[in-house]
Amino acid sequence: MSTIPSSRSPIDPRGPRFGAAITAVLLLVVVFLGLVGAQAAALGLLAVLAALFAWGAFAGIERHPYGAIYRSLLRPRLAPPAETEDPRPPSFAQLVGLIVTGVGVLLGLLGVSAAVPIAAAAAFVAAFLNAAFGYCLGCQIYLVLVRARIIRPAA
Amino acid sequence: MDPLLALGALLALLAVSTIVGLIWRSRQGRSSAPAGLRVALADLGETAWPARVTLLQFSTEWCSRCPGVARQLGRLAAETEGLAHRELDLTRAPELAERYRVSQTPTIFLLDDYGIVRRRIDGVPRPEHLRAAVTEALRSPHVDYSI
Repeated sequence: MSTIPSSRSPIDPRGPRFGAAITAVLLLVVVFLGLVGAQAAALGLLAVLAALFAWGAFAGIERHPYGAIYRSLLRPRLAPPAETEDPRPPSFAQLVGLIVTGVGVLLGLLGVSAAVPIAAAAAFVAAFLNAAFGYCLGCQIYLVLVRARIIRPAA
Repeated sequence: MDPLLALGALLALLAVSTIVGLIWRSRQGRSSAPAGLRVALADLGETAWPARVTLLQFSTEWCSRCPGVARQLGRLAAETEGLAHRELDLTRAPELAERYRVSQTPTIFLLDDYGIVRRRIDGVPRPEHLRAAVTEALRSPHVDYSI
């Protein structure tokens, strides 16, 4: 039961949470910029965040730049994790982040500038819950989607 | 929007998110009494219920907290008379997740020796809730179901 037959090795669960904390702060900046009328800056920053989500979703959370920062700067100063986690659900959570911010970017490019702070706020809630409470929205959705047979875990 | 107002909006967003997080956390790991849920022995691959009360843990491969919870429950079962611990892997059995309405892992069922789910705990169990649920389940009189 404790062996993970995935082809990807388990990760330190604090890495994605560290990334989520950085993302949460940046998303707050996007909300702020959108609210004070700096539409171009808000859209630009949201696009950068969407690109980072895409990186995490498709290259895998293990190759995310925040993960590299975590591993080089923070982890050496911390005790080893009590438990490791499968990288698939956090990587899937990055995909969820990409979809939410991607929709915001798309609508923003189409002129619906209100979409930018709204999408950033929605993504912020998920990132904040993950960073502050360890809640992984993507992990929960992952199980629901497996139940609905939309995802099949790799055999 | 005025920058100060925008800052206020940010604070409101932060406050709402914090409240949501606190509510979620407070609901984790508490036991509840489900109505009319029963586990089939066949799903466990056993021919008889192992003890008066079975702690059935639903896990998945990717659940980071499940191994720790399994160790905790295993220890509790080992030192408690009439208590057993079993684990069910839902990774390749989504139909079981649907049948028993499992939406997160770990989820723990306290089963009596008819397979009736007396209590369920969604998420990592809180020690006091777990102990109270186990004690109550062990103390309950056996009910003769004529189903």
